[in-house]
Amino acid sequence: MTHCRPLSIPVILGTTRKGRMSAHAARFMAEQIEKRQGVSTELIDISKLPMPADDAGDGIKDAAFAEKMTMADALVIVTPEYNHSFPGLLKHILDSCLKEYIHKAAGIVGVSAGPFGGVRVIQDFLPVIRELGLVNIFWDVNFGNVASVFDESGKLLDQAFVKRADKFLDELVWMAKTLRYGRDHIALGD
Amino acid sequence: MARRKMICSRCGGEMNHHADKLVYSTEKSVVAKKELSLGGLIEETHNCPGCGAIASRVAE
Repeated sequence: MTHCRPLSIPVILGTTRKGRMSAHAARFMAEQIEKRQGVSTELIDISKLPMPADDAGDGIKDAAFAEKMTMADALVIVTPEYNHSFPGLLKHILDSCLKEYIHKAAGIVGVSAGPFGGVRVIQDFLPVIRELGLVNIFWDVNFGNVASVFDESGKLLDQAFVKRADKFLDELVWMAKTLRYGRDHIALGD
Repeated sequence: MARRKMICSRCGGEMNHHADKLVYSTEKSVVAKKELSLGGLIEETHNCPGCGAIASRVAE
């Protein structure tokens, strides 16, 4: 029964900023996941989620988002690099859940206007991922100079990213399957 | 290890206790239940192999 369900790997678009180029990267990653057998995906745009600022954590939990996190086996988090770190609203949303993430895989996709492809935001994000109980893979996708990677309509201009995304997803799917088996069958302390 | 298996509220299957999370809080209800040697309370996470549902409860 465990293997009847396809793996669920939603893509989280982690910025609400107008003109965000990360949206192209997120759509591209979702398209790459859709090509895979036995894996379902959905693009979750945090700008579409209710995000009260007068509370945090459980206090702002959105039932629909929490349900998606419950059923997820892995997350692809697409984050731009703003002043060397991640958008505060992305963390605000992620902090609204906890048990939903534990022992699930995560892969981070960094996006930057400059040449570094979000390497600094990814390094900055790792302690957060760990504290949420997610298990980060050791592959990233780095969209540096993002304005030259996608045109204004979101069309990919550099086909090398297809191979890079493929390797990233190979690792993420392996981790997602392994962790699902563990969550389902391996009891703590056994 | 969990004291007893949790039963999935969605499909009725037996759940697997796969994680314990140490939770720190200033809330009185949480402080009252804290494990003194760890400084916080332990929240168990359980997963349903049948439908993928997740549940948690405070460890005793």
